[in-house]
Amino acid sequence: MSKKVSVLVAILVLASMVLAACQPAAPAAEPAAPKIKACQVTDTGGIDDKSFNATAWLGMQRAEQDFGVEVLYLESQQQSDYEVNLNTFVEAGCDLIVPVGFLLADATSAAADTNPDQKFAIVDVDYLGQPNILGNATKIDQGTFLAGYLAAGMTKTGIVGTYVGILFPATQAFMDGYAMGVAKYNEVHGTAVEVLGWNMETQQGLEVGNFESLDDGRALGEQLLDEGADIIMPVAGPVGLGTLAVLQERGTGLLIGVDNDWSVANPDKADYILASALKKIDVFVYESIEAVVNGTFAGGSPYMLTLENGGTALSYGSKWADQVPAELKAEIEGLIPGIISGEIATMPTR
Amino acid sequence: MTTTTDAQIGQKSQGILKLERRRRITMGILFLAAAVFIWLVFATDVEPGVETRFMMNPGGGSAEAADWVFPSLLYLNMIAGILSLLGAFQIIRGFGKYTYGVLALVAILFIFGFLTWATAGGQTNLAGLLRVMVVRAVPLTLGAMSGILCERGGIINIAIEGMMLTSAFISTVFASLFNSLIVGLLAGIIAGGLMGLIHGWLSIKYKVNQIISGTVINIFATGITSYLSSRYIQKVEFQYLNEPGMFPQINVPVLSKIPFIGPILFSHNMYVFAMFFFVILLTFMLFKTRWGLRLRSVGEHPKAADTLGINVHRTQYMAVILGGMMAGFGGTYFSLGSSGRFDEVMTAGRGFIGLAAMIFGNWHPVGSMGAGLLFGFFDSLSAKASLLQVPIPSEFIGMAPYLATIIVLAGVIGRGHAPAAEGEPYEKE
Repeated sequence: MSKKVSVLVAILVLASMVLAACQPAAPAAEPAAPKIKACQVTDTGGIDDKSFNATAWLGMQRAEQDFGVEVLYLESQQQSDYEVNLNTFVEAGCDLIVPVGFLLADATSAAADTNPDQKFAIVDVDYLGQPNILGNATKIDQGTFLAGYLAAGMTKTGIVGTYVGILFPATQAFMDGYAMGVAKYNEVHGTAVEVLGWNMETQQGLEVGNFESLDDGRALGEQLLDEGADIIMPVAGPVGLGTLAVLQERGTGLLIGVDNDWSVANPDKADYILASALKKIDVFVYESIEAVVNGTFAGGSPYMLTLENGGTALSYGSKWADQVPAELKAEIEGLIPGIISGEIATMPTR
Repeated sequence: MTTTTDAQIGQKSQGILKLERRRRITMGILFLAAAVFIWLVFATDVEPGVETRFMMNPGGGSAEAADWVFPSLLYLNMIAGILSLLGAFQIIRGFGKYTYGVLALVAILFIFGFLTWATAGGQTNLAGLLRVMVVRAVPLTLGAMSGILCERGGIINIAIEGMMLTSAFISTVFASLFNSLIVGLLAGIIAGGLMGLIHGWLSIKYKVNQIISGTVINIFATGITSYLSSRYIQKVEFQYLNEPGMFPQINVPVLSKIPFIGPILFSHNMYVFAMFFFVILLTFMLFKTRWGLRLRSVGEHPKAADTLGINVHRTQYMAVILGGMMAGFGGTYFSLGSSGRFDEVMTAGRGFIGLAAMIFGNWHPVGSMGAGLLFGFFDSLSAKASLLQVPIPSEFIGMAPYLATIIVLAGVIGRGHAPAAEGEPYEKE
């Protein structure tokens, strides 16, 4: 009897692992013409994080349509999965592996060293110098600068808020740009709008500690509202959806999404989404796949997404596009050339 | 002969007295240290004339209370004064059986001093802090009660996390499909019960190691919900399966109008009230009814219970299924009570922390709720400390309750008492 049970338990374990790991892995490649394979490894946020994993996947899907490449992904449930997933794809013969996020940097660097012929295009990491890694960075501070300016112009309480999932250089830039935007508005209009949850001098702020717990996002949303903030920019992937829920429950406050357009992703809560600071990872992913297809892939120096090349932008929420005063919109539009030329600083000088 | 035994007993009791004396003095020194810390670190950092402003209304609250404004330095000195008086009394006389109560008072005063210092010259929302504490305690307490139900019957349940996650998923889908929160809630509870049944089936009928069985359920739940979530309900074409809505906030008539207390305790969605209800119900059922006595006897000494005619296995099945249903109810909090949707691994380890709350609370519903509230308080406090830009990393404040758990578990303050027969499959002879 107990033997039967241990077999059953083993099957359960295996089944759950298979289910967790190999989601869209299509049945073994047919002997037909070998397609170019592009393979994405997510961080713990998962493919559906409505954030950079999802946006990267969008770029993969666009490449699938336009170039007829085969696209696969593996989700990482925990830190120890990064290395395993990367190696799985190396063995599966992927032409390009797309690890998503800073958290995968070390694992990617190691995998690139052991497999010098394997091409990688890593999202949000710009400091890996290996010739087979194409890094990427976004001047997201340019996008959130505009968002901060908008928030400062729209707040009624004179307090705007923000928080971050886990603090590292790529996420710091979001809040830096946001706070700089608010400071710019204060400078232009002589106001004293305050930013809660981020301090540019100390580079410290309100931190969730994960990218998963919507309940944490709800609690931080309540805290920020309680302290008087009425516009909140969560930089924490799906955690921000918890904040969105509390805004809807209390019927007050507005949210600024990041990475993709939140009013499109959450149409039922569009009333509470003022705008989104876009980070078009899909442009990077799409173009690196294109480079592999054309045989022009070159690693080493990172690919930059900026306001200038459309890699970042401010997009108004679907319900708010008409409610933002035209003068404020014009002011924001007027900031863009200055930001592109570098005349207006979007990061604090350190 | 008898004289030597008497002497031995005398020696022994003298040893105990010595130990008690040392404990008394250590505790007193701890109180004094708190006072000195407030004087040296907090009070010297505050300029005279600076004021602390506590807001007493959380946003979205239902009652009005004026802000509480007071001179920071004066209050800090007062707190330090009270603490040193308590410390001196403790060293000289001792509070005897009230020592732990006084310790709690000292801790509260110390935290109040911390907040006074952190807020000096600024403002913070005290009511909001406490309100978030109550909300954050809900999933922990419900998880802990699931653990209590199982473990009082002798079955270790570390699958609470997986049960909660599954039920969060199931409730989201059912509530969206039938456009009814109640249907979602029931589906979640049933899903939890079924998970409990599987756990019971593995660990009672087949005597699988209960830790292994629980781990398998956790891994399975993470895998299956993540798969179904990313494959279906997160896709735009299935978006309608991920819009369950949320239980509305209930303002208890009259009570929610009490200033300060009202919005903290009586203005919540139904999960907070359910938590209080279940804590009272479970305490009564466990300790005042025949049902509870039988359940506990099975967890403590199944053989004795069996000899007295209690059906051990049936009792254990009932315990795990009820425990699963409780975890299921707790799981629906994440989807129907907190965020109004499902996302992968959204329970984020709360079930495990619920288990810690159960142990901290000594396998008692009231104690577990206390532990849940404590964990919730420090969660809430660390966010406030971040917002106030306290020069202590907020991670340290976040760590505080778990540090306390370790201290409690290490037996410094008082050893917990797990049910004696926990984790051992019962075999009828």
